[in-house]
Amino acid sequence: MELEPTGPHGSRTVPRYARVDVIGGAVMVFIAGLIWYGAIGLAVGNITNFGPGAMPRVLAGILLLAGGAVLVHGLFQRPGEAEPLTLALRPPLILTIAIFLFALFIRGGDFWFLTTPRFGIMVVGPSTVLIAGLATPEANLKELLVLAFGLTAAALLVFSDLLGVPIPVFPRGLENMIPPSFGLDAAVRVLYLVYGSVAAAFYVIFFGVPEALRG
Amino acid sequence: MAELFNHLILGFSVVLSVQNVLLCLVGCLVGTMIGVLPGIGPLATIAILLPITYNAEPIGSLIMLAGIYYGSQYGGSTTAILVNMPGESSSVVTTLDGHAMARQGRAGKALGIAAIGSFIAGTFATLVVAGIAVPLSRLALGFTAGNYFAVMVLGLSLAIVLAGGSLLKAFCMLLIGVTMAMVGADQITAEPRLTFGSQDLYDGFGIAILAMGLFGIAEILRNLENPERRPFAGDVVGGLLPDRKDMRESAGAIARGSLLGAIVGIIPGNGATLSSFASYVLEKRVSSHPERFGKGAIQGVAGPESANNAAAQTTFVPLLTLGLPSTATMALVGGAMTLHGVVPGPQVIDLHPDLFWGVVTSMWIGNLMLVIINLPLIGIWVKFLKVPYRLLFPMIVLICCIGIYSVNSRPSDVIQVALFGVIGYVLHKLKFEPAPLLLGLVLGGMLEDNLRRGLILSHGNVLVFLSDPLTLALLLVTLVVLGSALLPALGKRRELLAEED
Repeated sequence: MELEPTGPHGSRTVPRYARVDVIGGAVMVFIAGLIWYGAIGLAVGNITNFGPGAMPRVLAGILLLAGGAVLVHGLFQRPGEAEPLTLALRPPLILTIAIFLFALFIRGGDFWFLTTPRFGIMVVGPSTVLIAGLATPEANLKELLVLAFGLTAAALLVFSDLLGVPIPVFPRGLENMIPPSFGLDAAVRVLYLVYGSVAAAFYVIFFGVPEALRG
Repeated sequence: MAELFNHLILGFSVVLSVQNVLLCLVGCLVGTMIGVLPGIGPLATIAILLPITYNAEPIGSLIMLAGIYYGSQYGGSTTAILVNMPGESSSVVTTLDGHAMARQGRAGKALGIAAIGSFIAGTFATLVVAGIAVPLSRLALGFTAGNYFAVMVLGLSLAIVLAGGSLLKAFCMLLIGVTMAMVGADQITAEPRLTFGSQDLYDGFGIAILAMGLFGIAEILRNLENPERRPFAGDVVGGLLPDRKDMRESAGAIARGSLLGAIVGIIPGNGATLSSFASYVLEKRVSSHPERFGKGAIQGVAGPESANNAAAQTTFVPLLTLGLPSTATMALVGGAMTLHGVVPGPQVIDLHPDLFWGVVTSMWIGNLMLVIINLPLIGIWVKFLKVPYRLLFPMIVLICCIGIYSVNSRPSDVIQVALFGVIGYVLHKLKFEPAPLLLGLVLGGMLEDNLRRGLILSHGNVLVFLSDPLTLALLLVTLVVLGSALLPALGKRRELLAEED
């Protein structure tokens, strides 16, 4: 999953385009351009009373110089000093997916091009843990299943029940089915008790009864 | 002196309510719990836990935040001593003698002396903070806009120069942070600035979101890249309480460390790290047995641990008296204060005396709690240390998601956390450390505002702006600081510091 093979530094020459400082400097120059572009429509004013566009332009200018210096430094580095950029792809990709899914489905809504339903912590909690857990090659699905339900139960206990954090718990359809006489708080408690039991059951099925509990 | 006493009484009367003591306790415990995890330092810990403190009222939430801060520092030392993995740069030196002691079966003593030293240093530093806060903020109240601008420029320069690493890159990060502070509605005209048409950006960047992404999620991504180094933690911790001989040996180190740390902490820059390194070098120099250092000398633990705790405390001084956060961690604390409607600055002492003295005394309470509660709990922390990372990081991701969502109930905030996480990871890979960015983000608005006001007052004449002796002096010092950092000899030292980070 690596873009570049990681070798010990200096063991081989790093092509200019792959050097940390070249890429980093180029990114800074690009950001400077972006800031300038964003400030085009803003008034500069004069020095006695400068407008909203003045500081962004000045900062963009200085950033251009500083970033350019990093870039130039990278270009003229001695080959032995240059370091290549190596990025792992799996962890950032999977964590982004896990967090995005949390954001999209926690309460639902309209996002750019899609409309999502509300799933609440009940669904999103376990899915976030499960997917995020896959970010490491050492991931073990059995462990993650126990973790997903156990952590969601713990999070509901701590955040929803004890701290009273306002966060959607149930999918909308399900919440409507809870009879008002029973109450939402009670339903949340039932949910984390159930999830806690599910986690415990998974644990026993996958890993056997913990030794401490064996009579 | 009597005034100081009254202030401390006021502070204690605020802190010693059941709710606030409880919040302080919870902060210390949760902070230690996360801080003890290898590879997660105080900055990441605070970034991850910040949203949790938002539920309490302002004073309580700041007390809890301070508790989290000390807890995470202490947790970092525990990890450093037990498994030779510094959770933060300020406990790097602790690994040298602390872990050597652990291998000799004296881990308990190392932890004990670290806690006791920290407590003594913390007590001293609390008094220092209480003593100099009032005069310093009186001084700052007389500042003109131009003075303020110059103080901020000097503070930011010191922060990037003393933090180590590439000066140019730190400068780039700072510039981007300052620019990001301008994103959103303009302070005067309310027209959208640099939002690129996005509605989400009209309110500007949230500091909690940014910190959680850049330091929390990005830290996980960095850790996931390295194959898991299984932390080795011995079960035998040994006795916790240092005996008479240990105390006699380390008393001087604790005293010197406290003093050194308290002074270094006030200066902007990475005070906690710098002071622990300085203290270690000092102890080695004054010791009659320098050859014992690195092989389990108790002074090598007592000195730096006292120093970094004292410094951790006095870094609050610039924030609380000048409104100038000197480290990324303090930027987060400042951000949290602003969120509760308390703008950090010299006016805080007069406008919110209960909050100010409450926070100062809670520092001391927090330190006390670390000694009387965390030491007995050491067994639990050791167990926590042994949980494999593959099970820990999904938990942190879930806490981050729920925490940041609960602040505004905005899914877009959660999306931003993910994006900043990836950005933080890429920046780290490009060898740009994002801490100055956070400083810039917090100070950017004030920087622009004071420059604008200063120029209006001097009718746009730069010479008049610069003719104020204090402004000129501060800006000249800034030039000297930046100039000296560029000198080859000092540059080498800074590189060393960065490598040891």
